[in-house]
Amino acid sequence: MEFGNSGSLREDGIHLDMDRLKKGEVNMAVTFKDGVILGADSRTTTGAYIANRVTDKLTQVHDTIWCCRSGSAADTQAVADIVKYQLELFAMTNGKPPTTQTAGAIFQELCYANKDRLSAGLIIAGWDERHGGQVYSIPLGGSLHKQPYSIGGSGSTYIYGFCDANWREGMEEADAVNFVKDALKEAIKWDGSSGGVIRMVVLTAKGADRHLYLPDTDYKVRHE
Amino acid sequence: MPGFDFSNYNRNAALHARGVPLPKATSTGTTIVGCIYDGGVVIAADTRATSGPIVADKNCEKLHYIAPNIWCAGAGTAADTEFTTALISSQLELHSLSTGRKARVVTCMTMLKQHLFRYQGHIGAYLVVAGVDPTGTHLFTVHAHGSTDKLPYVTMGSGSLAAMSVFETQWKASLTQDEAVKLCADAIEAGIWNDLGSGSNVDVAIITGEKTTLRRNYIKPNERTQKLKSYAFPKGTTAVLNEKIIHKADLSKFVSVHELTEEGGDKMEVDT
Amino acid sequence: MTSIGTGYDLANSIFSPDGRNFQVEYAVKAVENGGTSIGIRCKDGVVLAVEKLVTSKLLKPNANKRIATVDRHLGVVYSGMIPDGRHFIERARDEARAWRDTFKTPIATADLASRMGGYMQAYTLYQSVRPFGITAIVGGFDSAAETPVDGEVGNGPACGAGGKVAGKTHGGPFLYMIEPSGLYWGYYGAATGKGRQAAKAELEKLDLGGPGGPALTMEEAVKEAARILYVAHDDDKEFELEMTWISGADGPTKGAHHEVPKALREEAERLAKQAQEEKMEE
Repeated sequence: MEFGNSGSLREDGIHLDMDRLKKGEVNMAVTFKDGVILGADSRTTTGAYIANRVTDKLTQVHDTIWCCRSGSAADTQAVADIVKYQLELFAMTNGKPPTTQTAGAIFQELCYANKDRLSAGLIIAGWDERHGGQVYSIPLGGSLHKQPYSIGGSGSTYIYGFCDANWREGMEEADAVNFVKDALKEAIKWDGSSGGVIRMVVLTAKGADRHLYLPDTDYKVRHE
Repeated sequence: MPGFDFSNYNRNAALHARGVPLPKATSTGTTIVGCIYDGGVVIAADTRATSGPIVADKNCEKLHYIAPNIWCAGAGTAADTEFTTALISSQLELHSLSTGRKARVVTCMTMLKQHLFRYQGHIGAYLVVAGVDPTGTHLFTVHAHGSTDKLPYVTMGSGSLAAMSVFETQWKASLTQDEAVKLCADAIEAGIWNDLGSGSNVDVAIITGEKTTLRRNYIKPNERTQKLKSYAFPKGTTAVLNEKIIHKADLSKFVSVHELTEEGGDKMEVDT
Repeated sequence: MTSIGTGYDLANSIFSPDGRNFQVEYAVKAVENGGTSIGIRCKDGVVLAVEKLVTSKLLKPNANKRIATVDRHLGVVYSGMIPDGRHFIERARDEARAWRDTFKTPIATADLASRMGGYMQAYTLYQSVRPFGITAIVGGFDSAAETPVDGEVGNGPACGAGGKVAGKTHGGPFLYMIEPSGLYWGYYGAATGKGRQAAKAELEKLDLGGPGGPALTMEEAVKEAARILYVAHDDDKEFELEMTWISGADGPTKGAHHEVPKALREEAERLAKQAQEEKMEE
């Protein structure tokens, strides 16, 4: 039975009209000499309101495998929680840590199988003994792309040129940190829905190292 | 015919298509807040419940019990916050009975987010989850779609903007219990005065490692006071313009009148 | 054997008072009646071989293969009850496929051995089943090169990722043997079936477990495998020799499990027969 579009029950007052939380944002991951670095801003928005100005969009799914979440907060958190569980199970049953590829495969399966229900853009970055630092990108449709570096979120459109011009293979850690920071600063400057603090995670043989930069000091000083 | 009957659904859809508005659920246009301090966490809420433009309840409770050490403030659809918190509270109590451990706040938050995510936002519960467990003091927000945030101070509901303005100007890293309670109450008051959906009183819950203190109607800034004037009209205020008396005997001309007897007939039975 | 006929050998789910599962021990007997199988882990790959006893003159020579491919890089040979072995292989293929489906990468030999060990062990626990009447030898070559995730788009970046552990190699040839109890170990050389004692004695003479890893090449191992099976063979019966091998990406099979080429196998058999005759003359 058809009643036309105006009969949609989604327009009634029972279902809340509040926008699901979106992360209009910028995030990226880059490989460098000793591994890989993830970076992101910290803004979460509901329509025009900033629901969280210090969000941590860099999520750990295993010891040295992390992801940058963009799109719906609920969807990406749910997906990351499932993958985190799967990878822990993998490590226990197989007696060895999962590779970044394993994480990428599990993420992709979830994103592709549920593509109609999810709005999730993910960048998976990790370090493992066999492959070193790696970056995989999973955009909206659920495809998987291996990349030397990857940028994502609404703010990334402003820094394609910057990244293309400035990224170099095999950078030193300090240079790579500065590259990520400068790129994110630029995205925050031009994109209205990106902002707040800059968070980074450096993944190497030594493990995971967190960085925090605040706008108060123009992102110059490393805090924490 | 066995099975489900969708005729009411079809009727509603047809009526809706012709412009009949569907009934509105009672939604707590609300201000709820939470704030961590040195030694515990405080959550607070206003007490107004609305149904569209109508104030449905002037003094409702929006602070929900989850476990002795975990409490929840709810915004959104009133029924959904009530039943969701009750459900998770029940599951968490069974969980803590079977593990022999105190319930943890992250467990509560994870169960809530997974439940809400499963219903894809159709359960309109927006919650502030707070508690103290063996791992420390915790404060989270959980949105209806299943996303969560972990912050030192949080606000939710239609009055969240007003409340957040208080936190953003007055919050500091190290607070005493009294300061935290004052800050939360002030934030709720900002919602009560500046948000149409919020009003009436302030409820506060203080959770520490030792105990939880619920301060129902901690502040009552909207008490009904003595009316300045009396609005009782004296007898004779309304003028009598004419008077006509009809006697019972005359009435039987128009209707039949019977006197009821005590005996016989259907006497009402009354429990002794 | 003590306790025979006391009822403790009637079902899987019952231990004997001295802590044995007789059903498993009888399964081992079934294996000991089967044609000899061996596996050799070499420097550059794995060689699998089986002594295929000819049970009828009506069977077509060189048909009816006994060594199976489970995944591109994995081969399995077994001794004992052939239908049980067929089922084992079917399950191994399912496991390899399931791994590829979930992790989008080929299963490592060790992981397949672990899965199949667990599967065989499960058949020692329940009243309703009997243990496998086989001992299986699983050989595989885990890619030393980096492999892409199945289904990833494009070839990935041309430049390599940083932060690898210098000098560390990955993958290589692996060999495992799984017994009816579900017990499995990794081996340099493995033998099972009727002639296992003689075969093991010969395998121990080879340079397989040296400090620098096995010195034997695959071609040498093919010849040794043929010789060993001829040594282990009971002369009364006629038999065929079936051999397969798996090399790395730079070897003759390019990482896949293949039958040893006919010419090489025949040469190996010729040398084996020659060695046998020389021994007789002594």
